[in-house]
Amino acid sequence: MSLHIVSKSPFSSTALADCLTSFIEGDALVLIEDGVYALSGALKSQPVVGPVYCLAADAQARGLTIPAAVEAIDDDRWASLCTEHNPIVSWFR
Amino acid sequence: MYPATSDTRNQAAMNFTLAVYAAPHASQSAATALRFAQALLRQGHQLYRVFFYCDGVHNGSSLATPPQDETDLLPAWQSLQAEHGLDLVVCIAAAQRRGVLSEAEAKRLERPAANLAPGFELAGLGQLADAVAHSDRLVTFGS
Repeated sequence: MSLHIVSKSPFSSTALADCLTSFIEGDALVLIEDGVYALSGALKSQPVVGPVYCLAADAQARGLTIPAAVEAIDDDRWASLCTEHNPIVSWFR
Repeated sequence: MYPATSDTRNQAAMNFTLAVYAAPHASQSAATALRFAQALLRQGHQLYRVFFYCDGVHNGSSLATPPQDETDLLPAWQSLQAEHGLDLVVCIAAAQRRGVLSEAEAKRLERPAANLAPGFELAGLGQLADAVAHSDRLVTFGS
């Protein structure tokens, strides 16, 4: 099952919305870089049918609090997630 | 068995290829790719190849001189390359149009200087296809 990586803010890009149109059960979502801005609202209006992870350092750098429904991860956990999923799909447009 | 001190190494090692589309000065993505590569190697995975494509070819320029208070990714890539024998491949077509040239290419194209950093090499897109065919995972780092 796919691991989707979203690296652009939902306020400036359709990356998250595009990702969620192809998201199916069993997939997982990782928010990195400006993608972590999805924590400030976008995920509430567009529920994800799978686990959502967020790079803790990127959220902290932007002053965002990670809600309980989202798992805070570091680079090592991210790398592990990439071994548990296939393919890895990056959304950055 | 792996050493008990490192519980992150208990999973099966995999072959990864990274595709880097971002210039080091343009977005966070190039720095993220470097950190991800370091995390993979820390966990005992293999990096089959790192392929620098589109604006990502700027990662292989030895002439970029970021201000002292900014991170310079190049020495970090080079030390990772030296330590792990990484295959750091810069797309030759993308590099030519952006002015990232090896000595041989500068000579062939009659340009006044070469700037491909030591530890990197120029090759065609076929090397990305080859890497995908030989890797368990491809992870793309966008612009």
